[in-house]
Amino acid sequence: MADAPCLTHPSAAVVVMRLYIAQGAPNSVKAIANLEAICKEHLPEGFEIEIIDVLEFPLRALADGILVTPSLSKVSPFPAAQIIGDLSNRSSVLVALGLVP
Amino acid sequence: MNASGRILRLVKRGPERRAIESGQVDAVLDAATGKALLLPEARHALSLVGGPIANRLLSALPREDYRSLLGELELVSLTAGEVLYEPGERIRHVYFPNDAHVSLLTVMADRKALEVGMVGQEGLLGISLALGAEISPVRVVVQGSGSALRMKAASFGGALGRCPALQREVHRYAYAKLLQARQTAACNRFHEVQARLAGWLLLTRDRVRADQFHVTHQMLGETLGVRRSGVTNAATALQRRKLIRYCRGDMRILDRKGLQAASCECYETVRQDIERLCA
Repeated sequence: MADAPCLTHPSAAVVVMRLYIAQGAPNSVKAIANLEAICKEHLPEGFEIEIIDVLEFPLRALADGILVTPSLSKVSPFPAAQIIGDLSNRSSVLVALGLVP
Repeated sequence: MNASGRILRLVKRGPERRAIESGQVDAVLDAATGKALLLPEARHALSLVGGPIANRLLSALPREDYRSLLGELELVSLTAGEVLYEPGERIRHVYFPNDAHVSLLTVMADRKALEVGMVGQEGLLGISLALGAEISPVRVVVQGSGSALRMKAASFGGALGRCPALQREVHRYAYAKLLQARQTAACNRFHEVQARLAGWLLLTRDRVRADQFHVTHQMLGETLGVRRSGVTNAATALQRRKLIRYCRGDMRILDRKGLQAASCECYETVRQDIERLCA
């Protein structure tokens, strides 16, 4: 998606993520909405999300090791993590992002 | 092997497979071809979002809101004569007609039925759910075959809660239907059968967007609340004036302006209400 939104709230402790989606397919739309809500609530320090449409950039997704969409990759800070699905299970997303002890 | 089988073969195990099986995946990447394969539900949803939205209530929504509803909408074919709701039954689905149109009938104790409303691409069926009533008060019969998008009743409740634009459109439509019911009550009391038939034919024409459609003698009787002979007399009079041609259920409007002149004021009132509130 050439004009895919890049949601950026930069700061020192920014969490960088990549969300792989398939255009406006239902799970992809839900994943964007769920991730946006989680980030606004739990990442006041800042976050950066790159949204990649695999229908437009399949080779990029394959090169990043993505098999299905929606998939969320946490790029930084360390450790990296990957979450698959529509991100409706908020607690598992928070655990994967390292936002709960 | 079908598409789902191929996709499951591409992803043999692991969290990806579990996500596919729980319905949370839209597409799978195939390393062999370097392409992304859409799962059937996602392909279906994208075909809906990519094409024109025929239903006017849905097309009035912001695109993002419409997209958020797609996962819960199902495209169905409706066939003339099919009964969607019976009075006293729980409403299981709401329907957003595309090119189908339906009649709402009030059924009396002696089983006589009278049309009390019609719904086409301008609206939705199951509006009582939005007003807190889960039981259909009317019989709903498909009058013109075509397609519609439908949503489960429980999903509709959730969608209204999280989508203010949908709630606003549904409430506007409910108000338009209330105005129409008031107008129709007065029309049925004061206006002649021939004028009411002319108005009804014009409203149907607006819904199906065609000058030709199928309507049975029985349906016209239920619409106008008169016996078959009353339908015959009114249709024959309009035919003599060369405004319509009606033969074996096939209705053709020959002169729309002439038909409008022959109709009572109620057609124009109802049409303007729908345009104003549901455009």
